[in-house]
Amino acid sequence: MKYHVWHRTTYTYDEPVTNSLGVGHLTPRALPWQYVSSPEVTIEPVPGDLTHEIDFYGNHATYFQVTAPHTELRVTSKADVEVLVPAYDDSALAAPWETADPTRRREVRDAWQAVDFALESSKIRHTEQAHEYGAVSLQPGRPIGEAVTDLMHRIYTDFTYEVGATTVTSTVDDVLSKRAGVCQDFAHLTIACLRTHGLAARYVSGYLATTPPPGRERIVGADASHAWVAVWVPGTENWLAVDPTNDQWVNDRYITAAWGRDYGDVPPLKGVIFSDAKKSTLKVEVDVAPTP
Amino acid sequence: MTVLRDYAANLSQPTLTGTELRYDEVVAPDGTLRGSWKGLADLAVRLTGTDLARLEDEIRQQLNNDGVTYVRKDSETGALPNSWQLDPVPLVISAAEWGPLEVGLAQRAELLNAILVDLYGPQRLLRDGVLPPEVVFGHSGFVRTMARAGLTDSQPLVIAAADLGRSRDGTWTVISDRAQAPSGIGYALENRRVISQVLPELYREAGLHRVRPFLDAFRSALMQAADIEVLDPRIVVLSPGTHSETSYDQANVAASLGFPLVRGSDLMVRQGRVYLREYAGGMEQVHVILRRVDASWSDPLELRADSQLGVPGLSEAVRRGTVRIVNGLGAGVLENPGLLPFLPAASEALLGESLRLDSVRTWWCGDPEGLQTVLANLDQLTVRSIDQPDLPSDLDALRRSIQQTPHRYIGQERLALSQAPAFAGGTLEPQQLTLRTFTLRSGSAYRPMVGGLASTYGTGATADRTSSKDVWVLKANPEEADLERAEVLALASMQARPAVVPRALDDLYWFGRYTARTEDTLRLLLAAHTLSEDFQSRPQSAGGKASAVMLTALGGLTGAPVGGDEIDRQLRAILLNAQQPGSVAQSVAALRECAQSVRDQLSLDVWKAFSAFDRASWELVRHQHSYQVSESAGRMLNATLALHGVTSNMMRDEGWRMIRIGGWIERALQVARLLRLGIVRHGLDVDRMVLNQALLAADSAVTHQRRYRGYVRPRTVLDLLLLDPENPRSVLFALTELRRHLGDLKASTGSTRPERLLDDLIEECTAVDLTTMVALDGESRPHLAKHLDSLSRGLVRLADAIPAQHFETGPQMRPLGLMAGPS
Repeated sequence: MKYHVWHRTTYTYDEPVTNSLGVGHLTPRALPWQYVSSPEVTIEPVPGDLTHEIDFYGNHATYFQVTAPHTELRVTSKADVEVLVPAYDDSALAAPWETADPTRRREVRDAWQAVDFALESSKIRHTEQAHEYGAVSLQPGRPIGEAVTDLMHRIYTDFTYEVGATTVTSTVDDVLSKRAGVCQDFAHLTIACLRTHGLAARYVSGYLATTPPPGRERIVGADASHAWVAVWVPGTENWLAVDPTNDQWVNDRYITAAWGRDYGDVPPLKGVIFSDAKKSTLKVEVDVAPTP
Repeated sequence: MTVLRDYAANLSQPTLTGTELRYDEVVAPDGTLRGSWKGLADLAVRLTGTDLARLEDEIRQQLNNDGVTYVRKDSETGALPNSWQLDPVPLVISAAEWGPLEVGLAQRAELLNAILVDLYGPQRLLRDGVLPPEVVFGHSGFVRTMARAGLTDSQPLVIAAADLGRSRDGTWTVISDRAQAPSGIGYALENRRVISQVLPELYREAGLHRVRPFLDAFRSALMQAADIEVLDPRIVVLSPGTHSETSYDQANVAASLGFPLVRGSDLMVRQGRVYLREYAGGMEQVHVILRRVDASWSDPLELRADSQLGVPGLSEAVRRGTVRIVNGLGAGVLENPGLLPFLPAASEALLGESLRLDSVRTWWCGDPEGLQTVLANLDQLTVRSIDQPDLPSDLDALRRSIQQTPHRYIGQERLALSQAPAFAGGTLEPQQLTLRTFTLRSGSAYRPMVGGLASTYGTGATADRTSSKDVWVLKANPEEADLERAEVLALASMQARPAVVPRALDDLYWFGRYTARTEDTLRLLLAAHTLSEDFQSRPQSAGGKASAVMLTALGGLTGAPVGGDEIDRQLRAILLNAQQPGSVAQSVAALRECAQSVRDQLSLDVWKAFSAFDRASWELVRHQHSYQVSESAGRMLNATLALHGVTSNMMRDEGWRMIRIGGWIERALQVARLLRLGIVRHGLDVDRMVLNQALLAADSAVTHQRRYRGYVRPRTVLDLLLLDPENPRSVLFALTELRRHLGDLKASTGSTRPERLLDDLIEECTAVDLTTMVALDGESRPHLAKHLDSLSRGLVRLADAIPAQHFETGPQMRPLGLMAGPS
């Protein structure tokens, strides 16, 4: 599938900001199943300093500094993306999940790098509750593909999608006790359940192309950024990517922007401002438009 | 018998209890002095307990005079500055012993540097399985924003430190490595300075290596760290501020190197470069930062977003190579005891050499055998987390934590540390010690400081006492050079340029204000105390009433009423209780805080003055007589005057001007407040006595006596203290001085707001008609009251306008707020 992705973040302040530094993870990364062309990040006011770099995990990172006084900051990212359905090796997915602990598979070529995603990270704590919840799906000897799919399905079934139930600082245990959250929470929870059993899992940030309800026009800007999970499967290139928010494996409607250990590694935008402003309002508009 | 002989004799006594046998740094097992002490024996053996007690006193005095502190965190009272402890007996290491240690330390620093280069670059050690990835990826010191493909820093480790212990057989063993932002060099330099002064003969005779050349080499290494294109690099020392545990150490390093001590808020990033904020909106590029802020707090943009200690954009500047940070932001990953078991293999892999200097035996729990060993010997080993200081206190909880995340824990053999004689309770007792060494990148190689910092740990009754020792490394022969100087840059290129950041000017301004406030409060207290002592028993007499008026004025200044039966206690509180607003103690505490934050710019004599304050306070606590109040207040006053003396010898730069401006504003405010004593009439005799004390408090009694032949009237007092252009204690004099200094500031234009406010004040003051001022309406002088009110208001406005005009560095820094999460 081909898409034109458009993602705009607008901050409005009640007092001028004299200096604003930011880092964005907005440009979709190139992948064997994802081809990205003419990516562009535009910032208004025009930044005095703007660079694009590749970070530790291979994501695009945009660094910028705006020193012109402003009361509105607008960051717009655009890209044309072509995505395929990721292909998995069925025999690898059939292996017992216990064989996917990278600290015990030192002989596997990329195991050492996968270890980074098996350890506790600052926004995904390894708690007893997460371990218990995960254990129901991770039955001894169960094939990894099946176990992970079951976990995804349980989270989809047991938890309510509810905007406002959590905040960006909510923990995995908060989500477990509330039984509600948004995609970021479900991704973090899934990862916690997997990591507490020794598996390596990434937090993936990106976009999901949505279909308008039958008979309605697609509304530009009504989409949102999305997040899901990818699990290391030894011996294959592709990590198994699953979306607990929508109870499905990631397919050609999913556009990968960036990945890391958790949300904290790849927020679409973060920054520091110098201002006496008391209030700031945030507006996010996302549009994933199918293209021929 | 001398103390050293006693010490040796006691050691050779067969021990009744099964105390561990330790290596003794001074006495060999046969009871004779070790080789390193033989040359010192003649002088050292003569030292008696009395000598050592005297030395200890001198050391304490010197350390107090230099204001040497080590801040220990106290959970209840917050941070408390403690004085630094230094034992009179140095740790002496012979040339023969030092040689191999030096080679081992240099190799270790080279290895650690190579590990850093690898971990932030090709990661061969991880790929090839030399280091388990969980030890590195699971460590909070691994900074991923510095580990990007294509970033190369071939020498991320400029200064390495190691803590060593000497085992029973006399070999030095590394207990831990310090690489993030090693502390202790400032203390080591100060220890050497003090010991060389209190033990001059021993120091001269010993034939030991000096530490000064290390400082030159350090300065040179920092200059070499700058981009080769930069001819005259600007180097700063980045400190977290005066509340840091080792803020003295940071300030002493900065002052000794001649580089400005700055905080994160003094720096800013523009166009991917780091700049030092300068006075009046200027900025100057910084090329090298000696970092004493932990990496995670160094950049709120890419690292901890809640940090107020860092510089947003710093990581980006480092990645672009426009600034070098010493040590690099990623160096903290080396402060990881989980690396210790793997160092020999890493040394083979990276250097092709075997590791010369052993680490203390360490088991990593991420390895199944290591885990088994540690769990089986939990009570015998020292268990440490790879990156957290605190561990669960009970063994069961610890066991559970280890089992949950074994890769985060290690167990270490408990080294039977060596012991050395330390002076405690009038005699020398054996205390265990560790040695911190500092190894510096110098040109293309690493060289350790020929010396270091030893820490001793008390036992038994002194178990909670830790102290330090100077470390003497003896020369093989007296002609031996101190440190090869070949790589040390010629110092000619080292023009120490003053850097006055707005924050430092602000601190100096308040330094001036608090100095004047302390002085004036003390003078008022002394004047009030004299009357109260004289008329305590006759409250209804004129003197008694005047005393009450003075005490009320003092109370108004210091936040709590003074009078009644507890005057002595109240005055003591004003002198001693730093929590009481407006008290002398509070002003001195604030003054000290200001001085600490600009320690690199002030003469060491400042600390002598604080030491005198502390002694006066201590005497007051110790002696309960009421005359001790004026005795101690008098000594505190002398200390304040000494501060004036120190600042009068400063360079006439913006910093000095700020001290003077702060001082004159405060003086004008205090005199205006004092003159309020003339507003209300209490009767002829009472008024005369009150005015007399007011003159005393304004240090103008003698002048008044000379000019008006002692006939004290409101008019003469006002004339002298309000309007006299020649009396340095008058308001008008203060305003005139202010006008001059304010006008001399680079950023003054003649029409800045502070200048305009001041012109108005001067005009208002010179227009005063004394006849109107002293005119009575019933029992008070309403015109005087009105004028003093207006004067005080104007001064407060001015006092606020100056910082706003001159130190303002723009709005507050804050996180943009994490973007609303994806859905």
